[in-house]
Amino acid sequence: MAQWLADRLVGCYAEDRSGAKAAPVQGGREAGLSVLRGFSVVGYATRRNFVPGDLTTVSRLSPYLRHGMLGLAEVAEAVRAEVGRTADAVKFWAELGWRVFWRGLFARLGRSVYSDLEPAKVPLGSGTMPPEVERGETGLVCMDETVRELVATGYIHYHARMWFASYLVHHRKVSWREGERFFYRHLLDGDPASNALSWQWVASTFSSKPYFFNRENVEKYTAGRWCARCQARCPFDGSYSALETRLFGGKL
Amino acid sequence: MSAPVLVWLHGDSLSTEDPAVRRYPSAPRVFVFDEPWLRGVRPSFKRLFFLFEGAVDAGAQIRLGDPATEVLSAMEEAGAARLAVTRSPAPRFDEWMEALHGRVDLEVVEPEPWIRIPDAFPLRRFTPFWKKLGAEWS
Ligand SMILES: Cc1cc2nc3c(=O)[nH]c(=O)nc-3n(C[C@H](O)[C@H](O)[C@H](O)COP(=O)(O)OP(=O)(O)OC[C@H]3O[C@@H](n4cnc5c(N)ncnc54)[C@H](O)[C@@H]3O)c2cc1C
Repeated sequence: MAQWLADRLVGCYAEDRSGAKAAPVQGGREAGLSVLRGFSVVGYATRRNFVPGDLTTVSRLSPYLRHGMLGLAEVAEAVRAEVGRTADAVKFWAELGWRVFWRGLFARLGRSVYSDLEPAKVPLGSGTMPPEVERGETGLVCMDETVRELVATGYIHYHARMWFASYLVHHRKVSWREGERFFYRHLLDGDPASNALSWQWVASTFSSKPYFFNRENVEKYTAGRWCARCQARCPFDGSYSALETRLFGGKL
Repeated sequence: MSAPVLVWLHGDSLSTEDPAVRRYPSAPRVFVFDEPWLRGVRPSFKRLFFLFEGAVDAGAQIRLGDPATEVLSAMEEAGAARLAVTRSPAPRFDEWMEALHGRVDLEVVEPEPWIRIPDAFPLRRFTPFWKKLGAEWS
């Protein structure tokens, strides 16, 4: 079926005809319901920041919610039916709330979500996407694995999205719009509101300060599996105050 | 008897639970791959296939081309006199509605939001937003 569709949509997608493959997850409401049935919110509040290889710490419902294959209300109610009002449920509902918040802004702002909503709180660059970043060939395992996973599966964990966006915008001084386009093309949940506004949140054009992270943070939340095999000189190594000085020239 | 209806499913509401489908459950459905837009953006094929599976699952006829034009020909083929579609916040949705305005009997169905944001509510930061509007879920 993928072959058949790829023939009909030639010129409409990023890959060569021979590279046009189905995603590892199936689209449609039935498939979404089965992901929902397989999800348990128990432990979500403490586990959601962790990025294990099998990504079982989060629901992976975003592509279905993005395309209306599942509704926010039914997902929220399914969690309530599972556990009632627990700390895990409350944390999960707040994440659904972020989607409502971004969509609400989009309904008001339309295409302005693609322009800086506020002055940046730190100097930003206007660079274009470096080819080695887009190919996943920087030598930084955390960034290269994120790109590989994004391109191969159309999904990456929230924490990895944040790390990558911060790397691109604050270390490489690339325009957040370039990163936004890259994610939008590949994410199965690619959404004008959640994507553009999250990039702005990281960049600091819609937040009170930029988002940045250090190596310790990556090691902790990936159980060190990327850093253990990384040979590169790590640009994320150091305390937050050292990184602040290095990236932004002083304390924020 | 009411006029035959065609339901248009778009990428924000691609399911049998779509509010327009629920209003007209036995009406034929169509989904259009927006060709001019896709040729500009060129998303990964995985995304398109995911949408395709969603459209198949929702029982929609699948077309490729300019959405407004394709929807009009789908209506003609189906002998439909009215078009029902669920509202989307996307600016392209408003553009399509403008292109179809006056050309078809158009019914825009309002989705029932999980959380309704009053028009005057200021949307600046998430925390105050959620404290107020997410109170039932906090
Ligand atoms: C740079 C960047 C780009 C992003 N782009 C998108 C995007 O295009 N589409 C998208 O849906 N999300 C986007 N997000 C938000 C978030 O990363 C994903 O929604 C989440 O990782 C999806 O995985 P999940 O379904 O397993 O999430 P879970 O943790 O299981 O959360 C449940 C649901 O809550 C919603 N949600 C969770 N976190 C957020 C958030 N921060 N913002 C909005 N909704 C949220 C999603 O619908 C998600 O499916 C982006 C975040 C960043 C930092």
